[in-house]
Amino acid sequence: MFDNFDLMVEGLWGGFVTTVWVTFASYAIALLVGATLAIMHVSPVAPARWAANAYTQMFRNVPLLAVLFIMFFGLPKVGISQENWVWALLGLGLYTGAFVGETLRSGINSIPLGQAEAARSIGLSFGQSLGNVVLPQAFRAVIAPLGSLLIALVKNSALVLAIGVRELTAEAQVLINDNQNRFNLWMVIIGVTVSYLIIAFAISYLVRLVERRAAFTR
Amino acid sequence: MTRQQQSTVLFDALGPEGRKRANITSIISGVVILGLLGIAAYRLAAEGFFEASRWANPLDTLIIETTWIPSILDTLLAFVLGSIGALLIGVIVGFGRVSRFAGTRGVAATYVQFFRAMPLVLLIWISFTIDGHFGFTTDVLGWSNDMRRLTFLVLGLAIYNGAILAEILRSGFNALPPGQAMAGYAVGLRHGQVMRLIVLPQATRNMLPAVLAQLVILLKDTSLGYVITYPELLHSGYLIGLDYGNSFLQALVIAAFIYFVLAYALSKLVKVVERRMSRKTASSAKAVRQVENVATE
Repeated sequence: MFDNFDLMVEGLWGGFVTTVWVTFASYAIALLVGATLAIMHVSPVAPARWAANAYTQMFRNVPLLAVLFIMFFGLPKVGISQENWVWALLGLGLYTGAFVGETLRSGINSIPLGQAEAARSIGLSFGQSLGNVVLPQAFRAVIAPLGSLLIALVKNSALVLAIGVRELTAEAQVLINDNQNRFNLWMVIIGVTVSYLIIAFAISYLVRLVERRAAFTR
Repeated sequence: MTRQQQSTVLFDALGPEGRKRANITSIISGVVILGLLGIAAYRLAAEGFFEASRWANPLDTLIIETTWIPSILDTLLAFVLGSIGALLIGVIVGFGRVSRFAGTRGVAATYVQFFRAMPLVLLIWISFTIDGHFGFTTDVLGWSNDMRRLTFLVLGLAIYNGAILAEILRSGFNALPPGQAMAGYAVGLRHGQVMRLIVLPQATRNMLPAVLAQLVILLKDTSLGYVITYPELLHSGYLIGLDYGNSFLQALVIAAFIYFVLAYALSKLVKVVERRMSRKTASSAKAVRQVENVATE
């Protein structure tokens, strides 16, 4: 049962680290993309709104795996090649960005209209009322949903195994299919499950912490 | 309700000067966006992306008949069975979450917490692998491989989305003012009656949009059948791409486009339902928004 236990832990640890860094790196991209989309969504410039809308619709209705496939297998056919981890980060980031954008937008919409009206009526400009009044409040409203997006991203990061990035799930596959070292099937399953639970609980703890620090009374 | 207004109240109704400025920015940003698209299209065209033969090959009548249509049907089959399974599990676990008995609540909460933390692709692949390891379905039940693939894809979809639907159901219950149930008890209904006659009908209406939104996600997630080589759309697109090396990108784009059409149609349906729901009462519209917060990718 504990044959090659060290070797198994070593493999899973490698996958764990990959999953964590892929998740956070692509989340950084997603936040950037999402913030840009949200600003475009509420801007007075019509083409920007249309572009943001088209982007969001596209990524909301196409499976992430299809996005990754098009990037990794398809784009090299038109002369755009990158290493698989680059596509992993870009695919996860651009895809999640659409959801972050929607979340931020619903956060902006959740702020009572009077706030924006008050900001406008004391003479703040579009940028000022958005940046000083609406967004700081909207951000607090979306911490929890952004946290669930981060947890969803951890789970989605498992899909990059299809383009050959060795994250946790891929690592578990490798360990289970390893005929030479004959790892115990159940130990690997327990190992990978516990790893994902640890990540998910750590993130929800973190989100609660941030939420508490940012909390304010209306 | 405030959706349109929020974005317009942020800037004044523009005067003639401002309108001119806004128009100019609009035109400039439009030109920039079109320019970016144009550059992308130009580069793709230079690489032969738009060559007719590259599109015609994977869209040959024979391939449409033998591969695309069956794979669409297989995708829809997994979607329908997965949705039914997820709804069943969701209702059972969701009721467990709001049960009167602490033990039931505990079990249901553990189920939800556990499966919400697991990647769906892991669930599908692991259950398929464990079964393959012990050969239960192949040796004991004598199933074919196609049957096994469908079963474990549907099982994974149902177990995972069941946990999320249960959470939506629970928040649907919680979004309902407690006075509703109390009023039920006050007129002498039993717990089961209160649940069946008062809580469930109202909660259902509140959470329908969130449930449908989750089903759109479930539809997209059928693509994960790829890891156990279930012959769904993406897998077929990939195989066609392998057959016609020159059309690899085109085949994948076609597959993605079909997903887009299916998911978009489904999410339009969600929008229609949402609008009809929010027309009913103001309070239910608010509850709908509360429930929606639970449903994320």
